[in-house]
Amino acid sequence: MTSTANTQLIKLDEYRWLLPKNGPMRVPGLIFSNEALIKTLQEDQSLVQVANVASLPGIVGHSLAMPDIHWGYGFPIGGVAAFDFDEGIVSPGGVGYDINCGCRLMTTQLQADEIRPRIRDLVAALFRSIPSGVGTSGPVNLSKQEEARVAVQGAAWAVKSGFGDREDLSRTEDSGCMEGADPSVLSQRAIQRGQKQLGTLGSGNHFLEIQVVDQIYDREKAGAFGLVEGRITVLIHSGSRGFGHQICDDFLKEMTSHHMKGALSFSLPDRQLACAPLRSDLAKRYLAGMACAANYAWANRQVLMHLTRETLLSALEITPRELGMKLLYDVCHNIAKKEKHLVDGQEHLLCVHRKGATRALPPMHPLLPEIYRQTGQPVLIPGDMGRYSYVLSGSEGAMRESFGSSCHGAGRILSRTQAIKKAKGRAIYRELEDKGIFVQSRGRQTLKEEMPDAYKDVTQVIEAVHGAGLARKVARLKPLGVIKG
Amino acid sequence: MDTTLSYTPFDHTADLGIIVTGTDLEDLFRKAAQSIIEIMFRKNSVKGTESLKISLDGEDLADLMVRWLGEILYLFDAEQKIVSGIKIFKVSRTHLEAALTVAVFQPDHHVILNEIKAVTYHQIEVTQKPEGWIARVIFDL
Repeated sequence: MTSTANTQLIKLDEYRWLLPKNGPMRVPGLIFSNEALIKTLQEDQSLVQVANVASLPGIVGHSLAMPDIHWGYGFPIGGVAAFDFDEGIVSPGGVGYDINCGCRLMTTQLQADEIRPRIRDLVAALFRSIPSGVGTSGPVNLSKQEEARVAVQGAAWAVKSGFGDREDLSRTEDSGCMEGADPSVLSQRAIQRGQKQLGTLGSGNHFLEIQVVDQIYDREKAGAFGLVEGRITVLIHSGSRGFGHQICDDFLKEMTSHHMKGALSFSLPDRQLACAPLRSDLAKRYLAGMACAANYAWANRQVLMHLTRETLLSALEITPRELGMKLLYDVCHNIAKKEKHLVDGQEHLLCVHRKGATRALPPMHPLLPEIYRQTGQPVLIPGDMGRYSYVLSGSEGAMRESFGSSCHGAGRILSRTQAIKKAKGRAIYRELEDKGIFVQSRGRQTLKEEMPDAYKDVTQVIEAVHGAGLARKVARLKPLGVIKG
Repeated sequence: MDTTLSYTPFDHTADLGIIVTGTDLEDLFRKAAQSIIEIMFRKNSVKGTESLKISLDGEDLADLMVRWLGEILYLFDAEQKIVSGIKIFKVSRTHLEAALTVAVFQPDHHVILNEIKAVTYHQIEVTQKPEGWIARVIFDL
């Protein structure tokens, strides 16, 4: 079952390509990219996936793709699609298994020059104290009642339990809590998987990175974000772990069954796009379960930040004041959200799916916390572990064209098997060490699969996002030490 | 290609796809289960002592395959149990009965190669060809 749509693109300008509406597509596709990146799209099936998403009922505007788009399962990774609440659908595959996978960036008062000589020890200390990889348990063993509180309260649960400060909540998307979470919709399996995994990093592309602020592009905004050239930052990339995977899996199966029993009046171009009308009880239950996972992920990253702070304090033998660790922001990049947007000049309530895309609110947006009202929302974009990550700020262009969304990372260019083949005979650890980047990973193949060559150059992705006006460059961060699952 | 594997991998940019072939449905489902274990863990000599009966229903063969492989993932992620033996009793278009022998995960003996987040429905196929049964499955890593 694949789309019958033609995926020939029309170049609109330097940063925009149109996928005209044809075949079963209900709306056109719009790809934000540049000349260098657009070529890589012809090599996988991501444009077919943009067309498939465009064929789903109730889709509004365009089926969008960010410059880091690559072949996912169902939705393309880097895909954004908004659906009308009366006519549209919600698709668990459009959010992904790792519900509220996201990034959290912390600033510190530490100078990179002081940290470089000790980076190897610091990475080792973080690797010991932060549970990563498969089959690891977290520092918190949740009772079922406590887990339900995590699912409803999100990051606030972690703060109340001693993992961080209240101030952290205003520096987290949605204050670290999505409304409407209802643990009564969850399966016993989801609850069981969530009990031991809070405060774990996970494996695959999840990581914790010690970085240095390497370049500033916008001094005023960087100042407001607490980013100072030469200082250390820490970036965490993790999500809702097995809890979220199970919730996605449970609802995908239920929606697949409904679909196969003829409950939907339209055909699906891919079974992974199984979905439910937003007005249906099934959709409402999914959104209530998805909110539980979103909240679990925010609590997870809050606990991971606390573990990081404690580890740095004891490894460096310094005071909290000397460390000066502050949360800059926490964003999710796998989510479906109820948001108001202008469509043809009129405000509409939409369900915005971001599958590998980051919200990017412009200055003065009412959902922004006071501290970022003038700057716009910090947009955190990790690159691969050998190059850079970026901090951007949301801009008006995103509200006009992409339902307030931007890219989420570099985007893979090599499959995992291609990456392993390319890494054969190479010591990736050594190559990174030669660049001054120390890595510890648990999985035997993780480092090869995740090596820099496996990803697009994030700088190209950022140039495209900046050039298209979806978000503006604020600062570049360079990795010094990485732990991976 | 590694001929000791129960599957043939195919490229997918973000994830991992496999093609499994079997002489009949029982053989196909057994090999598919063996494949996911080979992807997740390095070969080891740990023998399981616990036996679990599995009885599953699906909407069709493809759905049944996703649910079957999902059981093996769940056993590891939720209960830290690793499958060391697979017996398929019967498979129909919508039903499967099997017994799994499982060992408790021992970090000193089990080497994890890959974390699989989920078994996806993306381009899933379970079809009968003249040469036998073929399954095509993509995992989210």
